[in-house]
Amino acid sequence: MLVIFEGTSQVETTVRAVLADILGLSADRVAAFTADTPLFGALPELDSMAVASVLTELEDRLGILIEDDEIDGEMLETFGALVTFAAGKALV
Amino acid sequence: MTGIRFDHYDWAGGREAMLRFGPDIGPIVLAALPLFEEANRTRQFACTILRALAGYGIGSVLPDFPGTGESLVATADATLSDKRRAYVALTQVLGVDTYALSIRSGALLEVDATLAGRWHLSPQSGEELVRDLERARVAAGKKEGDYAGNHLSFERLAALREAVPRGGGRCRIIRLDTDPRAADATYPGVPLWRRSEPDNNIQLAQKLAADIAHWIAA
Repeated sequence: MLVIFEGTSQVETTVRAVLADILGLSADRVAAFTADTPLFGALPELDSMAVASVLTELEDRLGILIEDDEIDGEMLETFGALVTFAAGKALV
Repeated sequence: MTGIRFDHYDWAGGREAMLRFGPDIGPIVLAALPLFEEANRTRQFACTILRALAGYGIGSVLPDFPGTGESLVATADATLSDKRRAYVALTQVLGVDTYALSIRSGALLEVDATLAGRWHLSPQSGEELVRDLERARVAAGKKEGDYAGNHLSFERLAALREAVPRGGGRCRIIRLDTDPRAADATYPGVPLWRRSEPDNNIQLAQKLAADIAHWIAA
C-alpha cells in the first residue's frame, strides 16, 4: 500500500507541474491546489485547446496513453479527479 | 554583419522569404519551426537561439516554407513533400556546411536533405503530430478535417502520419528534463510549444545556442 501511496504522490507532483507549465500558472498558485480545487470551467486559462495540451503533456511525462473517448468533463472537474485519473493510468 | 537581415530563396514552386542572423561565412544553421500551431508558439524562442548563435560567430537562417509565414502558396495547398523540396533547394543554396536546427515536427522537413549534421529539439513524429491535431480538434468541437483553422485532407493526414524524423549520421537529440524519452542531453524548461499563451525562455535559448555551438565545433 505504501508503494501505491508514493506513486500517487509522484503523479500528483507531475499533474501540478504540467498545469503550471502549460497554463502558465505561478508555482504558488498551483501549490495551493487541493483535491477539491475546481479546474475545467473554473480556470479561465484551461480552455478546450489547453485541455488537449495538458492531457498530451501528461501522456509524455507519465508515459501513458489516454484514449479520446476517455476524455470527459468529470476527469477535469477537480484537481483530485485529474490526479486520480492519471494515477489510474500510470500505476497499473 | 550580425544584425537580422531579410533574404529569400527559390525552389521549384516559387520563392520564399527567410531571416538571416550572424555572419554569411562559415557553418550555417538552418532552423525549421514545427508545423501548424506550434510554429507560432516557438518562433520568438527560435529567434532568440539564432541571435545567441550569432554571438558565437555562427550564422543562421529562419526560412518560410511553402504555405507558412509570408509564402504565396496557400496553407491548404502546401503539402509535406513541397516543404521537403523547398528544404532541399535551400540547403543547396546554403552549401555543404549546413546544420539543421529542427524543433518538434520541423524535423520532418529535413529528411531528403544532405546536411553536415542534424540537431533536434524534442523531435515529434508525424503520428504523434496527427494525434495532437486530432485531440485539439475534438476538444475544440471542430468538424473532421478542420485543425485549428488548418484544413487537412485525408491524404495529407496520411502522408503526415507516416513521416518520421531522420536519425543516423551526425545527429543530436535534445529534450526537456521532464521528458523521459531517450536524448543525448536534457535541459530544464517548460514546453513552450504547448503553452496556452505564447512565451519565451531566454535562459534556455542561450543554453541551447551554447550546446549547438559546441556540437558544431566538436
